[in-house]
Amino acid sequence: MKERNLDSSISSGEHGGFKKFLQKDLTPYLVFLIPLAFLCLFLFWPLATTLLRAFMKSGNKFDLGALGVSGFEKFFTSALYQRSLRNSFIVGISVTSCSLLIGVPMGYFVARVKIPGKSLLLSLGILPVIMPSFIGAFSWIILLGRQGVLRYFINIVLTPLGLELPPIYGMFGMIFCMSLTYYPFVFLLSHGAFSSANALLEDAGMLMGASRWRVLRTITFPLVIPSIGAAALLVFIRSIGNFGIPAIIGGDQYVLPTLIYFRVNGFWDLNGASSIAVVNVLITGAVLWFQKYVVSRREYETISASHVEIQQHKHPVLRVIAFLYCLVVLLVSLAPQIVIIVMAFFEKWQGLLPEGFTLANFNKIPKNSPKELLNSLYLSTLATLLTAILGSIIAYITERRKPKGAGILDMAVMAPFILPGTVVSVALLSAFSGRSAIPLGGTYTIIIIAYMVRRTPYVYRSVAASLTQLNPSLEEASTIAGAHWIYTFRRVSVPLILPGIISGSILTFSTLLQELSTTILLYGARTRTVPIQIYGAVADGKMGEASALSVILLIVVFAIVYTTNKSKGRDLSAGLKM
Amino acid sequence: MSLDLNYRDVSKVFGAGGKNPVEALKKVSFTINPGELFCLLGPSGCGKTTLLRSTAGLESITSGHIFYGGRDMTSIPPFRRNIGMVFQSFALYPHMNIFENVAYGLRVRKTPEAEVRRKVTEVMELVGLMEELKRNPSPAGLSGGQQQRVAIARALVYDPDLLLLDEPLANLDAKLRRYMRAEIRRIQKATNITTIFVTHDQEEAMAVGDRLAVMRRGVVEQIGSSDELYNKPNSAFVANFIGKMNFFKAELAAWDGENARARIIGPDFELDVGKGRNHLPTGIAVGSRILVGARPEQLSVGLRGVEGAMAGKVNIIQHLGQFVRYEVSVDTAISAQPFEVDMPGLVAGIAEGDNVYVSIKKGLASFYLPEEGQSE
Repeated sequence: MKERNLDSSISSGEHGGFKKFLQKDLTPYLVFLIPLAFLCLFLFWPLATTLLRAFMKSGNKFDLGALGVSGFEKFFTSALYQRSLRNSFIVGISVTSCSLLIGVPMGYFVARVKIPGKSLLLSLGILPVIMPSFIGAFSWIILLGRQGVLRYFINIVLTPLGLELPPIYGMFGMIFCMSLTYYPFVFLLSHGAFSSANALLEDAGMLMGASRWRVLRTITFPLVIPSIGAAALLVFIRSIGNFGIPAIIGGDQYVLPTLIYFRVNGFWDLNGASSIAVVNVLITGAVLWFQKYVVSRREYETISASHVEIQQHKHPVLRVIAFLYCLVVLLVSLAPQIVIIVMAFFEKWQGLLPEGFTLANFNKIPKNSPKELLNSLYLSTLATLLTAILGSIIAYITERRKPKGAGILDMAVMAPFILPGTVVSVALLSAFSGRSAIPLGGTYTIIIIAYMVRRTPYVYRSVAASLTQLNPSLEEASTIAGAHWIYTFRRVSVPLILPGIISGSILTFSTLLQELSTTILLYGARTRTVPIQIYGAVADGKMGEASALSVILLIVVFAIVYTTNKSKGRDLSAGLKM
Repeated sequence: MSLDLNYRDVSKVFGAGGKNPVEALKKVSFTINPGELFCLLGPSGCGKTTLLRSTAGLESITSGHIFYGGRDMTSIPPFRRNIGMVFQSFALYPHMNIFENVAYGLRVRKTPEAEVRRKVTEVMELVGLMEELKRNPSPAGLSGGQQQRVAIARALVYDPDLLLLDEPLANLDAKLRRYMRAEIRRIQKATNITTIFVTHDQEEAMAVGDRLAVMRRGVVEQIGSSDELYNKPNSAFVANFIGKMNFFKAELAAWDGENARARIIGPDFELDVGKGRNHLPTGIAVGSRILVGARPEQLSVGLRGVEGAMAGKVNIIQHLGQFVRYEVSVDTAISAQPFEVDMPGLVAGIAEGDNVYVSIKKGLASFYLPEEGQSE
């Protein structure tokens, strides 16, 4: 006994670090290594290769001997590059401003004005983000394209005045479609901020003699600015990374993601594409930095214990205006989905009404795209399962075990959230295509990895959000009761964070089904997916077939999202936050 | 068979090697007797919760040893220590009913089903929840006091060697808190499990504990029964933490290692204190600054100045039931803080704002060493 004490008092002194380490339970470290290895192999390594390739001569030769800046020189010499860069900036800034203009009032109205159908507005509000954005784009072509239905009628009105509405192709179309796709970020986040703000603060302002407008200006808005800033950042990052909308509706106007596609697909110029990708990421990084150090400095601690129900405006005129506003925004942003459904059942739609009711569009699917349907299902399901496991484990580690470097792990996992899909593809191609050590070009594996890399943040954020709401003492109580951490994880942690895992997975699955920007650079003849098929059909002008396929996607995605929202306590938007 | 608990030179440094290491525990050594209900008391940040979590193994200690019944547990992971713990938030599982909550530790131990039922029923009877067990709702359907009982039952059901209570009453309202502390004492005495009770509330600690340890800045300042801590606090900090103590600035006039004499600076009179009431270190020099302490009931106020009385002015008179408390400001040379004087009843002729005299009842003052951070 005495000897043992003596022995252990020596070993746990300063020199006993190693023995102490061995006495510890090592399983957490092993579990920690798996996600780390995944991130190193499929994120850090590809990104490093991309960065190297960006400094190589155009082509796809990986030659460390001849580094230079020729890839970047094009941004000074080529008119196409310059215009693409300028377009990306214009699109990013305009879409962000438009989304703010649409979304902030809507968030305020739904949070603060007494209007009917709030929960419906909120659940429909998230749809434009979750629904495939490129489907929206080609639907607007049906409405406002060269032979667009709506454009035809608007021009009947405008022609006597000597005016003509141009087709939607180009900058206006991109900004229009993207704003309608991304405003829900602003709407949902600002709604959250407006409705969770402490009413007592506003009451206090009012009691000190401030008018309603003054309270709004000096108290309410400053408090929601951080949320709105985060939403604006999200919109900006998404819009400059979007590939589908510019590819379909951009016409001859290129932006950086389509330029990347053009370099890879047209010239197999991986090094050139890498240079563009680096520029794209630099812009995103600069904006992120700006948000982090300028906007979020204004974040405030809530210094109050009790919350009071927020007073809602009941003025009848305001109520009518608010309700109509929300209704119009929602209808316009959901119009594409409705148009697609109609279009799918007709041969063509060039006048007032669609002509030639038919089921042929659907009948063609089993013949033309059976492989694509199966591929989409297979790839999305498998990738979602793996993402759910990976994201949950990383969230659990960073949130609960808090190892040294948890901050780095967090940043690494979230990095793909801000990386445009085309950039992720270029990175994976530069590391794993052709004669690389692990050749994966054209395989299912490379697509699944790309999906995992891009969607892990969804599950990660969603699970981390439920973990922060989970008091650590629940898990400690289990440990104290004698349970090994694996037992605790299985019986206590997983059941309690299951809502987070499920909503993260659903978001992952429903967005993977419609994934275009990553797949477009990675697919091969065997691995075509439904969105690829739709994109091809639109390019070939087969609107009916594209619509029918889109309808199938829409139905599946809507069914998933609807059932999720039905079951209580699921919050899909958690996975979309940063 | 209850175990004793022994801390030997337990130290904990948070962020060791970093820029701002925080010493949460500094060479803590003491022993808790078998079957004792022991309170760890101190202001927030004093290290009491860290010591409790280290005892449980939820926090690893930087150096030192913790023994359960003579067995060194320092490097044993928490799930192999066989202890029960009640958390401040109760930490009941919302996805299980109360039976499953209580049975959790038995399920972990793969106890046979019949045995689980018997033990859960037994412990629920002990904590007085038989009615609730029949309905068997989820914890959310119980009141705060009932949730607390479930949490205690869950910690006791597998016969732990040690019961740890981390501010168990902090989430209850004042009335329930007084009731539950008596209940906790009853349950602890019924099971006779060695128990540590952490709290920042001195009244609670004095009411519940067999013995108390007062902690400050990672150090145990004093250990003793409620009576010992109240009547013989050995430092100015403990004196003012366990109940209220008024302090006057004074100078050491004479000192023979046992008996001391102090000169109170303001009114310039001298006061003798014998063994037991003087907590000065042996090496102290005559002429040093010291503090003279007296509890509110050891002072009295009067309209006339007797010998050694200090002139002051009544700020507030509070009627507090069994006594009347006079708050009196005195010359800031004596004390920057107003004195609290408790009289058994109203003193005729004294109103708020009046000039009065405060004196120390004979033989009741104590001497302390002033310390840095001590508010004057």
